[in-house]
Amino acid sequence: MADDLVPSWEDVARLYGRKIYNFAYRLTGNPDDAADLVQEVLLRVRKGLAGYTPGSFEGWLWRITRNAFLDSVRKKKRRPESPLPDEDRWTMATSPSPDEVLASVRLSENVQAALLKLPMEFRESVVLCDVVGLSYEEIATAIDAPIGTVRSRIHRGRKLLREMLTWPV
Amino acid sequence: MAGLIPNRHVSGEVLSAYLDGELQSGELDVVVDHLGGCQACIAEFHELKETRAWLRTLPELAVPDRVVRSVHYGPELSAFLDGELGLVEQREVTDHLAGCLYCREELQELDAARVAIRSLPRLEPPVLLEVAARRTGHTRRWRLVTVTAGVAAALIVALGVAASGPEQVADIDLDSFADRHVARASVEPGFAVIPAVGPTGATP
Repeated sequence: MADDLVPSWEDVARLYGRKIYNFAYRLTGNPDDAADLVQEVLLRVRKGLAGYTPGSFEGWLWRITRNAFLDSVRKKKRRPESPLPDEDRWTMATSPSPDEVLASVRLSENVQAALLKLPMEFRESVVLCDVVGLSYEEIATAIDAPIGTVRSRIHRGRKLLREMLTWPV
Repeated sequence: MAGLIPNRHVSGEVLSAYLDGELQSGELDVVVDHLGGCQACIAEFHELKETRAWLRTLPELAVPDRVVRSVHYGPELSAFLDGELGLVEQREVTDHLAGCLYCREELQELDAARVAIRSLPRLEPPVLLEVAARRTGHTRRWRLVTVTAGVAAALIVALGVAASGPEQVADIDLDSFADRHVARASVEPGFAVIPAVGPTGATP
Protein backbone atom coordinates (compact mmCIF):
# COMPACT_ATOMS: atom_id res chain seq x y z
CA MET A 1 0.00 0.00 0.00
CA ALA A 2 1.41 3.39 -1.01
CA ASP A 3 2.60 5.43 1.95
CA ASP A 4 0.72 8.58 0.94
CA LEU A 5 -2.67 6.92 0.91
CA VAL A 6 -5.05 6.51 3.81
CA PRO A 7 -6.87 3.25 3.21
CA SER A 8 -10.51 2.82 4.02
CA TRP A 9 -11.44 0.54 6.85
CA GLU A 10 -12.92 -1.86 4.35
CA ASP A 11 -9.56 -2.04 2.54
CA VAL A 12 -7.80 -2.84 5.78
CA ALA A 13 -10.31 -5.55 6.68
CA ARG A 14 -10.15 -7.05 3.20
CA LEU A 15 -6.42 -6.80 2.59
CA TYR A 16 -5.09 -7.45 6.07
CA GLY A 17 -7.75 -9.41 7.91
CA ARG A 18 -6.27 -12.72 6.83
CA LYS A 19 -2.70 -11.66 7.55
CA ILE A 20 -3.64 -10.50 11.02
CA TYR A 21 -5.49 -13.74 11.64
CA ASN A 22 -2.53 -15.83 10.51
CA PHE A 23 -0.13 -13.75 12.57
CA ALA A 24 -2.29 -14.21 15.65
CA TYR A 25 -2.90 -17.87 15.04
CA ARG A 26 0.79 -18.67 14.57
CA LEU A 27 1.63 -16.75 17.69
CA THR A 28 -1.07 -18.28 19.86
CA GLY A 29 -1.92 -21.59 18.21
CA ASN A 30 -5.49 -20.87 19.17
CA PRO A 31 -8.20 -20.05 16.61
CA ASP A 32 -10.44 -18.32 19.14
CA ASP A 33 -7.65 -16.06 20.36
CA ALA A 34 -6.72 -15.34 16.75
CA ALA A 35 -10.31 -14.47 15.89
CA ASP A 36 -10.58 -12.21 18.92
CA LEU A 37 -7.39 -10.45 17.93
CA VAL A 38 -8.62 -9.79 14.38
CA GLN A 39 -11.77 -8.24 15.78
CA GLU A 40 -9.86 -6.16 18.28
CA VAL A 41 -7.33 -4.95 15.73
CA LEU A 42 -9.95 -4.02 13.16
CA LEU A 43 -11.92 -2.14 15.78
CA ARG A 44 -8.80 -0.26 16.83
CA VAL A 45 -8.04 0.46 13.18
CA ARG A 46 -11.58 1.73 12.66
CA LYS A 47 -11.14 4.15 15.52
CA GLY A 48 -7.58 5.04 14.63
CA LEU A 49 -7.97 5.64 10.90
CA ALA A 50 -9.52 9.05 11.46
CA GLY A 51 -6.34 10.22 13.15
CA TYR A 52 -3.93 8.34 10.94
CA THR A 53 -1.51 10.50 8.99
CA PRO A 54 -0.10 8.96 5.82
CA GLY A 55 3.20 7.25 6.42
CA SER A 56 4.29 3.68 6.91
CA PHE A 57 0.88 2.10 6.96
CA GLU A 58 2.28 -1.41 7.45
CA GLY A 59 4.30 -0.25 10.41
CA TRP A 60 1.28 1.52 11.90
CA LEU A 61 -1.00 -1.44 11.38
CA TRP A 62 1.39 -4.04 12.75
CA ARG A 63 2.20 -1.92 15.73
CA ILE A 64 -1.53 -1.82 16.51
CA THR A 65 -1.69 -5.56 15.95
CA ARG A 66 1.24 -6.27 18.20
CA ASN A 67 -0.06 -3.98 20.94
CA ALA A 68 -3.47 -5.62 20.75
CA PHE A 69 -1.82 -9.00 20.95
CA LEU A 70 0.31 -8.04 23.95
CA ASP A 71 -2.76 -6.55 25.65
CA SER A 72 -4.65 -9.79 25.15
CA VAL A 73 -1.74 -11.81 26.52
CA ARG A 74 -1.52 -9.56 29.56
CA LYS A 75 -5.26 -9.80 30.05
CA LYS A 76 -5.27 -13.55 30.01
CA LYS A 77 -2.01 -13.85 31.91
CA ARG A 78 -1.22 -17.14 30.37
CA ARG A 79 1.08 -18.55 27.77
CA PRO A 80 -0.74 -19.80 24.68
CA GLU A 81 -0.09 -23.48 24.52
CA SER A 82 -3.18 -24.86 22.82
CA PRO A 83 -2.77 -27.85 20.55
CA LEU A 84 -3.21 -27.39 16.84
CA PRO A 85 -6.92 -27.61 16.12
CA ASP A 86 -8.60 -29.43 13.28
CA GLU A 87 -9.38 -26.11 11.69
CA ASP A 88 -5.83 -26.08 10.33
CA ARG A 89 -6.73 -28.99 8.12
CA TRP A 90 -9.89 -27.55 6.70
CA THR A 91 -9.17 -23.94 6.06
CA MET A 92 -6.04 -24.15 3.96
CA ALA A 93 -6.10 -21.67 1.13
CA THR A 94 -5.15 -24.27 -1.50
CA SER A 95 -6.17 -27.89 -2.10
CA PRO A 96 -3.15 -30.13 -2.77
CA SER A 97 -3.27 -33.95 -3.06
CA PRO A 98 -4.15 -36.06 0.01
CA ASP A 99 -0.54 -37.24 0.48
CA GLU A 100 0.73 -33.71 0.24
CA VAL A 101 -1.91 -32.61 2.68
CA LEU A 102 -0.88 -35.28 5.19
CA ALA A 103 2.82 -34.49 4.91
CA SER A 104 2.14 -30.80 4.99
CA VAL A 105 -0.17 -31.07 7.98
CA ARG A 106 2.38 -33.14 9.87
CA LEU A 107 5.12 -30.62 9.11
CA SER A 108 2.80 -27.75 9.89
CA GLU A 109 1.88 -29.26 13.21
CA ASN A 110 5.53 -29.73 14.11
CA VAL A 111 6.49 -26.25 13.01
CA GLN A 112 3.54 -24.73 14.84
CA ALA A 113 4.36 -26.65 18.00
CA ALA A 114 7.97 -25.53 17.78
CA LEU A 115 6.91 -21.94 17.17
CA LEU A 116 4.86 -21.96 20.33
CA LYS A 117 7.91 -23.01 22.31
CA LEU A 118 9.99 -20.08 21.11
CA PRO A 119 10.40 -17.15 23.47
CA MET A 120 7.83 -14.54 22.55
CA GLU A 121 10.30 -11.92 21.33
CA PHE A 122 11.80 -14.42 18.86
CA ARG A 123 8.43 -15.84 17.93
CA GLU A 124 6.87 -12.53 16.97
CA SER A 125 9.82 -11.48 14.81
CA VAL A 126 9.94 -14.84 13.04
CA VAL A 127 6.19 -14.84 12.44
CA LEU A 128 6.17 -11.26 11.20
CA CYS A 129 8.99 -12.14 8.81
CA ASP A 130 8.11 -15.63 7.60
CA VAL A 131 4.33 -15.78 8.00
CA VAL A 132 3.28 -12.19 7.46
CA GLY A 133 6.12 -11.34 5.08
CA LEU A 134 7.23 -8.01 6.51
CA SER A 135 10.64 -6.51 5.82
CA TYR A 136 13.09 -6.07 8.68
CA GLU A 137 12.39 -2.35 8.65
CA GLU A 138 8.64 -2.89 8.93
CA ILE A 139 9.17 -5.36 11.75
CA ALA A 140 11.43 -2.85 13.51
CA THR A 141 8.63 -0.27 13.32
CA ALA A 142 6.03 -2.77 14.47
CA ILE A 143 7.94 -3.97 17.50
CA ASP A 144 9.63 -0.65 18.17
CA ALA A 145 13.16 -2.03 18.10
CA PRO A 146 16.30 -1.34 16.05
CA ILE A 147 16.79 -3.29 12.83
CA GLY A 148 19.85 -4.97 14.33
CA THR A 149 17.67 -6.39 17.09
CA VAL A 150 15.15 -7.62 14.55
CA ARG A 151 17.90 -9.31 12.54
CA SER A 152 19.27 -11.00 15.62
CA ARG A 153 15.88 -12.17 16.86
CA ILE A 154 14.88 -13.61 13.51
CA HIS A 155 18.09 -15.56 13.25
CA ARG A 156 18.05 -16.82 16.82
CA GLY A 157 14.41 -17.75 16.47
CA ARG A 158 15.04 -19.76 13.33
CA LYS A 159 18.05 -21.47 14.87
CA LEU A 160 16.08 -22.50 17.94
CA LEU A 161 13.23 -23.68 15.80
CA ARG A 162 15.55 -25.77 13.68
CA GLU A 163 17.05 -27.37 16.78
CA MET A 164 13.60 -28.24 18.08
CA LEU A 165 12.55 -29.73 14.77
CA THR A 166 15.82 -31.58 14.17
CA TRP A 167 16.35 -32.86 17.69
CA PRO A 168 12.92 -32.91 19.23
CA VAL A 169 12.94 -33.26 22.99
CA MET B 1 29.11 -4.70 9.97
CA ALA B 2 28.30 -7.12 12.72
CA GLY B 3 29.33 -10.70 12.05
CA LEU B 4 31.81 -9.87 9.30
CA ILE B 5 35.42 -10.39 10.34
CA PRO B 6 38.07 -10.84 7.64
CA ASN B 7 39.06 -14.50 7.12
CA ARG B 8 36.36 -15.66 9.52
CA HIS B 9 33.13 -17.42 8.75
CA VAL B 10 30.04 -15.33 8.19
CA SER B 11 27.82 -15.27 11.25
CA GLY B 12 24.47 -17.00 11.12
CA GLU B 13 22.74 -13.68 11.74
CA VAL B 14 24.28 -12.20 8.60
CA LEU B 15 23.51 -15.33 6.62
CA SER B 16 19.90 -15.11 7.74
CA ALA B 17 19.69 -11.49 6.66
CA TYR B 18 21.35 -12.42 3.36
CA LEU B 19 18.72 -15.10 2.87
CA ASP B 20 16.01 -12.50 3.43
CA GLY B 21 17.58 -10.03 1.02
CA GLU B 22 18.17 -7.61 3.88
CA LEU B 23 21.92 -6.92 3.46
CA GLN B 24 23.22 -3.61 2.22
CA SER B 25 25.68 -3.58 -0.64
CA GLY B 26 28.86 -3.52 1.52
CA GLU B 27 27.88 -6.56 3.57
CA LEU B 28 26.37 -8.24 0.58
CA ASP B 29 29.60 -8.19 -1.41
CA VAL B 30 31.59 -9.66 1.47
CA VAL B 31 29.08 -12.44 2.06
CA VAL B 32 28.83 -13.34 -1.60
CA ASP B 33 32.64 -13.50 -1.86
CA HIS B 34 32.89 -15.62 1.25
CA LEU B 35 30.15 -18.03 0.26
CA GLY B 36 31.97 -18.59 -3.00
CA GLY B 37 34.68 -20.56 -1.21
CA CYS B 38 33.44 -21.64 2.23
CA GLN B 39 31.67 -24.98 2.39
CA ALA B 40 30.88 -24.59 6.10
CA CYS B 41 29.05 -21.31 5.54
CA ILE B 42 27.31 -22.67 2.47
CA ALA B 43 26.09 -25.62 4.59
CA GLU B 44 24.83 -23.28 7.29
CA PHE B 45 23.18 -21.11 4.69
CA HIS B 46 21.31 -24.14 3.32
CA GLU B 47 20.19 -25.14 6.79
CA LEU B 48 18.80 -21.68 7.37
CA LYS B 49 17.14 -21.77 3.98
CA GLU B 50 15.51 -25.09 4.79
CA THR B 51 14.31 -23.82 8.17
CA ARG B 52 12.81 -20.76 6.59
CA ALA B 53 11.12 -22.98 3.99
CA TRP B 54 9.55 -25.02 6.81
CA LEU B 55 8.16 -21.87 8.33
CA ARG B 56 6.86 -20.74 5.01
CA THR B 57 5.07 -24.02 4.38
CA LEU B 58 2.68 -23.20 7.17
CA PRO B 59 -0.65 -23.04 5.38
CA GLU B 60 -2.32 -19.71 5.12
CA LEU B 61 -5.52 -19.90 7.10
CA ALA B 62 -8.72 -18.25 6.02
CA VAL B 63 -10.33 -15.92 8.50
CA PRO B 64 -13.42 -17.66 9.92
CA ASP B 65 -16.62 -16.25 8.50
CA ARG B 66 -17.91 -15.42 11.98
CA VAL B 67 -14.94 -13.10 12.44
CA VAL B 68 -15.58 -11.35 9.16
CA ARG B 69 -19.21 -10.86 10.07
CA SER B 70 -18.54 -9.73 13.58
CA VAL B 71 -16.12 -7.00 12.59
CA HIS B 72 -18.73 -5.48 10.37
CA TYR B 73 -21.87 -3.84 11.66
CA GLY B 74 -24.61 -6.30 12.50
CA PRO B 75 -27.43 -5.37 14.86
CA GLU B 76 -26.63 -1.70 14.31
CA LEU B 77 -27.80 -1.96 10.71
CA SER B 78 -31.37 -2.82 11.67
CA ALA B 79 -31.41 -0.02 14.20
CA PHE B 80 -29.90 2.26 11.54
CA LEU B 81 -32.74 1.39 9.15
CA ASP B 82 -35.31 2.09 11.83
CA GLY B 83 -33.74 5.41 12.78
CA GLU B 84 -33.05 4.11 16.27
CA LEU B 85 -29.31 4.87 16.50
CA GLY B 86 -27.83 7.74 18.42
CA LEU B 87 -26.23 10.54 16.45
CA VAL B 88 -22.66 9.35 16.94
CA GLU B 89 -23.44 5.76 16.06
CA GLN B 90 -25.49 6.89 13.11
CA ARG B 91 -22.57 8.88 11.76
CA GLU B 92 -20.19 5.96 12.32
CA VAL B 93 -22.43 3.55 10.47
CA THR B 94 -22.98 6.05 7.65
CA ASP B 95 -19.22 6.52 7.25
CA HIS B 96 -18.65 2.80 7.37
CA LEU B 97 -21.36 2.10 4.81
CA ALA B 98 -19.75 4.52 2.38
CA GLY B 99 -16.70 2.29 2.14
CA CYS B 100 -18.01 -1.18 2.90
CA LEU B 101 -19.64 -3.16 0.16
CA TYR B 102 -20.32 -6.02 2.55
CA CYS B 103 -22.35 -3.89 4.92
CA ARG B 104 -24.14 -2.11 2.09
CA GLU B 105 -25.29 -5.48 0.78
CA GLU B 106 -26.28 -6.53 4.28
CA LEU B 107 -28.25 -3.31 4.68
CA GLN B 108 -30.04 -3.88 1.37
CA GLU B 109 -30.99 -7.39 2.44
CA LEU B 110 -32.26 -6.17 5.78
CA ASP B 111 -34.21 -3.42 4.10
CA ALA B 112 -35.75 -5.88 1.65
CA ALA B 113 -36.74 -8.14 4.54
CA ARG B 114 -38.23 -5.20 6.41
CA VAL B 115 -40.21 -4.10 3.35
CA ALA B 116 -41.42 -7.67 2.82
CA ILE B 117 -42.58 -7.92 6.42
CA ARG B 118 -44.29 -4.56 6.30
CA SER B 119 -46.04 -5.34 3.03
CA LEU B 120 -47.73 -8.41 4.46
CA PRO B 121 -51.50 -8.00 3.89
CA ARG B 122 -53.62 -7.18 6.90
CA LEU B 123 -55.75 -10.24 7.42
CA GLU B 124 -59.49 -10.09 8.11
CA PRO B 125 -60.52 -12.24 11.03
CA PRO B 126 -62.30 -15.49 10.18
CA VAL B 127 -66.12 -15.28 9.97
CA LEU B 128 -66.70 -17.23 13.19
CA LEU B 129 -64.47 -14.85 15.12
CA GLU B 130 -66.32 -11.89 13.64
CA VAL B 131 -69.66 -13.31 14.74
CA ALA B 132 -68.33 -13.90 18.22
CA ALA B 133 -67.02 -10.36 18.32
CA ARG B 134 -70.39 -8.98 17.25
CA ARG B 135 -72.09 -10.93 19.99
CA THR B 136 -69.67 -9.61 22.55
CA GLY B 137 -70.15 -6.06 21.25
CA HIS B 138 -73.94 -6.50 21.42
CA THR B 139 -73.82 -7.49 25.06
CA ARG B 140 -71.48 -4.65 25.91
CA ARG B 141 -73.70 -2.14 24.11
CA TRP B 142 -76.70 -3.29 26.08
CA ARG B 143 -74.79 -2.93 29.32
CA LEU B 144 -73.69 0.54 28.28
CA VAL B 145 -77.24 1.58 27.45
CA THR B 146 -78.39 0.35 30.84
CA VAL B 147 -75.71 2.26 32.70
CA THR B 148 -76.26 5.38 30.63
CA ALA B 149 -79.97 5.30 31.31
CA GLY B 150 -79.30 5.00 35.04
CA VAL B 151 -76.90 7.94 35.02
CA ALA B 152 -79.27 10.07 32.96
CA ALA B 153 -82.10 9.38 35.35
CA ALA B 154 -79.91 10.28 38.30
CA LEU B 155 -78.93 13.51 36.63
CA ILE B 156 -82.49 14.45 35.87
CA VAL B 157 -83.37 13.92 39.52
CA ALA B 158 -80.35 15.91 40.65
CA LEU B 159 -81.23 18.78 38.32
CA GLY B 160 -84.77 18.76 39.62
CA VAL B 161 -83.48 18.99 43.18
CA ALA B 162 -81.13 21.84 42.29
CA ALA B 163 -83.81 23.79 40.44
CA SER B 164 -86.22 23.51 43.29
CA GLY B 165 -83.69 24.55 45.94
CA PRO B 166 -82.65 28.05 46.91
CA GLU B 167 -79.13 27.77 45.38
CA GLN B 168 -78.26 27.15 41.75
CA VAL B 169 -75.57 24.61 40.94
CA ALA B 170 -74.24 26.46 37.95
CA ASP B 171 -70.52 25.61 38.09
CA ILE B 172 -70.78 21.92 37.47
CA ASP B 173 -70.19 20.76 33.93
CA LEU B 174 -72.74 18.07 33.93
CA ASP B 175 -72.17 16.85 30.42
CA SER B 176 -68.52 16.28 31.18
CA PHE B 177 -69.36 14.68 34.47
CA ALA B 178 -71.86 12.36 32.85
CA ASP B 179 -69.42 11.46 30.11
CA ARG B 180 -66.74 10.60 32.62
CA HIS B 181 -69.12 8.64 34.70
CA VAL B 182 -70.43 6.67 31.76
CA ALA B 183 -66.97 6.06 30.48
CA ARG B 184 -65.80 4.80 33.84
CA ALA B 185 -68.80 2.62 34.27
CA SER B 186 -68.26 1.09 30.85
CA VAL B 187 -64.64 0.11 31.44
CA GLU B 188 -64.64 -0.84 35.11
CA PRO B 189 -66.80 -3.88 35.67
CA GLY B 190 -66.88 -3.35 39.43
CA PHE B 191 -67.84 0.32 39.23
CA ALA B 192 -71.46 0.63 40.26
CA VAL B 193 -73.70 3.51 39.40
CA ILE B 194 -75.29 4.77 42.55
CA PRO B 195 -78.78 5.82 41.73
CA ALA B 196 -79.66 9.31 42.80
CA VAL B 197 -82.26 9.60 45.49
CA GLY B 198 -85.13 12.01 44.98
CA PRO B 199 -86.51 14.42 47.55
CA THR B 200 -89.10 11.90 48.51
CA GLY B 201 -86.59 9.12 48.95
CA ALA B 202 -87.88 7.22 45.93
CA THR B 203 -85.41 6.05 43.39
CA PRO B 204 -86.20 7.23 39.90
